[in-house]
Amino acid sequence: MVQLKRLSIWIGYLVVMLVLPQFFDSILSVSIFNQMAIAIVFALSYNMLLGQGGMLSFGHAVYFGFGGFLAVHTLIMIEFETVYFSILFIPLIGGVFGLLAAIFIGSFSTHKAGTVFAMISLGMGELIAASSLIFVGFFGGEAGISGDRTYGPPFFGVEFLRDVEIYYVAVFWVFIATVFMYLFTQTPAGRMANAVRDNPERAEFIGYSARKVRFISFCAAGLFAGIAGGLFALNYEFITEETLNATTSGRVLLMAYIGGLGYFIGPIVGAVILTLMNSLLSNYSDLWMLYLGVMFLLTVLFLPRGFAGFIMMHQVAWVRGTIKQLALPYLLTGVPALLVMLSAIALIEMSHVEADVLQFIGFTLEPALLTDWLMVGIVGTGSLFAVRKSLPRLRDAWDSANTIPSEGGS
Amino acid sequence: MAILTLNNVQKNFGETAIIRGVSLDIEEGEKHAIIGPNGAGKSTLFHLISGLYKVSAGSITFKESEIQDKAPYEISRLGLARSFQVTNIFQRMNVFENIRCALFWSKGYRYSFWHLLGRQKELNEQAMHVLEQIGLTDKALFPSGELAYAQQRALELGIAIASGAELIMLDEPAAGMSHSEAETSVQLIHKITEGKTLIMVEHDMNIVFNVADRISVLVYGEVIATDSPENIRSNASVQEAYLGEVATSA
Repeated sequence: MVQLKRLSIWIGYLVVMLVLPQFFDSILSVSIFNQMAIAIVFALSYNMLLGQGGMLSFGHAVYFGFGGFLAVHTLIMIEFETVYFSILFIPLIGGVFGLLAAIFIGSFSTHKAGTVFAMISLGMGELIAASSLIFVGFFGGEAGISGDRTYGPPFFGVEFLRDVEIYYVAVFWVFIATVFMYLFTQTPAGRMANAVRDNPERAEFIGYSARKVRFISFCAAGLFAGIAGGLFALNYEFITEETLNATTSGRVLLMAYIGGLGYFIGPIVGAVILTLMNSLLSNYSDLWMLYLGVMFLLTVLFLPRGFAGFIMMHQVAWVRGTIKQLALPYLLTGVPALLVMLSAIALIEMSHVEADVLQFIGFTLEPALLTDWLMVGIVGTGSLFAVRKSLPRLRDAWDSANTIPSEGGS
Repeated sequence: MAILTLNNVQKNFGETAIIRGVSLDIEEGEKHAIIGPNGAGKSTLFHLISGLYKVSAGSITFKESEIQDKAPYEISRLGLARSFQVTNIFQRMNVFENIRCALFWSKGYRYSFWHLLGRQKELNEQAMHVLEQIGLTDKALFPSGELAYAQQRALELGIAIASGAELIMLDEPAAGMSHSEAETSVQLIHKITEGKTLIMVEHDMNIVFNVADRISVLVYGEVIATDSPENIRSNASVQEAYLGEVATSA
């Protein structure tokens, strides 16, 4: 029964990925799906370090980028007919080199977790990013290097000219990578990674070298980050230093964290949300990085277990059937909260916009008019007041929906 | 035959000598208690034997191999398990996972990433059996960090004994427990150490005299007496150094 349920989740995951381009078939949406696919594998690999292994890395992009560079080099070799194989296997090339880089760096960085590990990861990240501008032959300097995926032998007639074809290649690898990363959590090495995260000292007293346990997780994370890098190379057909520098390392940390570190599905949620924000929001506002930062801050402060954690919080109420009691209080707090957020965004955009008028969710706002400022301000303040007013009710509803009545009947 | 031999073991922290030449033979199958006043170095001695601290001088032999330079995980693999005075469990994992992790190495799984745990029937049954022994069967899926204190102490013992080690070292298993809880834990200790060698540090003299075959008294980093409980009770220098009223009232 449990197995059937689990299997149906996996099938659902695969089916959703496969049919997405049928519903959203524009060039833009397929390009977003490709980015999501890459981000999902990358964020899941990051969670093997932080969520499952307790290793805070500021340099995980190294394995992503390194895998990506080698993948592009392989594309170039295919183009010049030095090697001959289907580009379907390019992500695997990325994975192998991500793994090799992780074996090398992990051999000295996994001795300790905590601050020591974090500092080494930061240092290695900077070092590799800096050398990418020094070893121009390999990394291509600021311009990066580029290949052409269409030179490879066709795969059953598919020549990989279109992005949607790459999307199906990506789905294949995302699915395989997700399955294997999940299975890893169900093995002794995966469980011991959790144990070492919780208590490295005690792990040593049940026969395990904490260092070696970390090293294994680290290598696995490098392998899958490399696969993600290989997918990146296939999708964009070029790669630059940016893929292995601190910006990319920071972004994957945000994805995993916002999604929720404690859950296997968390990084997938985070990858989807951040990719959407990245691609859609950036069309509407050049301040989207600011909003992303605020969202990260709010997540850390109010949803320490991420979006996945927020969803899972409702498990008890769901099982008990009391979740209906939460609908109205959620609405009463949620709607004004949304208004607070929108007014805040409107104010920020008004102070930022250079044109005379600002089109904002159907409203025309003029930053030159004091009345417009006042109006937005009043809506915002009023909504904030409404949120504060309705919060106690939400809290009560939450408590009554989640408290299991004791025998004494308290 | 001695399963564990300490030969003139010393430990200094900087200038301060904490353990000042301890020699001790632990016989196979005996239940040995180490008692002594606060600061005598009992926990330090445990840390030295189990490899958490390195000795400053002297040697420790366990089952004919010298272990004083070995890492904790190497010593653990030889069949020496220990618990901690301050509860030292895997907080974010559930009770069952805590025990199962403690079984991995002795069941030969090593660093395997090719065995799926759901399919390891024997391992999972063994873990449930340990849970039964320590009385936490109904808490199997409970997050271990949220257990009640006495239950965490039971889990602490469970992690130590799960691997089936021949020598078990318990550091104040009844620390912070009420009288009735302590009584339960005495029964538990009897049950889980049956047929095994036990070294125990404990302050509660009821437990010590109830469990131990032999007692060593550690005072300021030196063993001043090792003897049967009856003889320790009547030993004048022990009474003076430590036991005092406790012994007569026990």
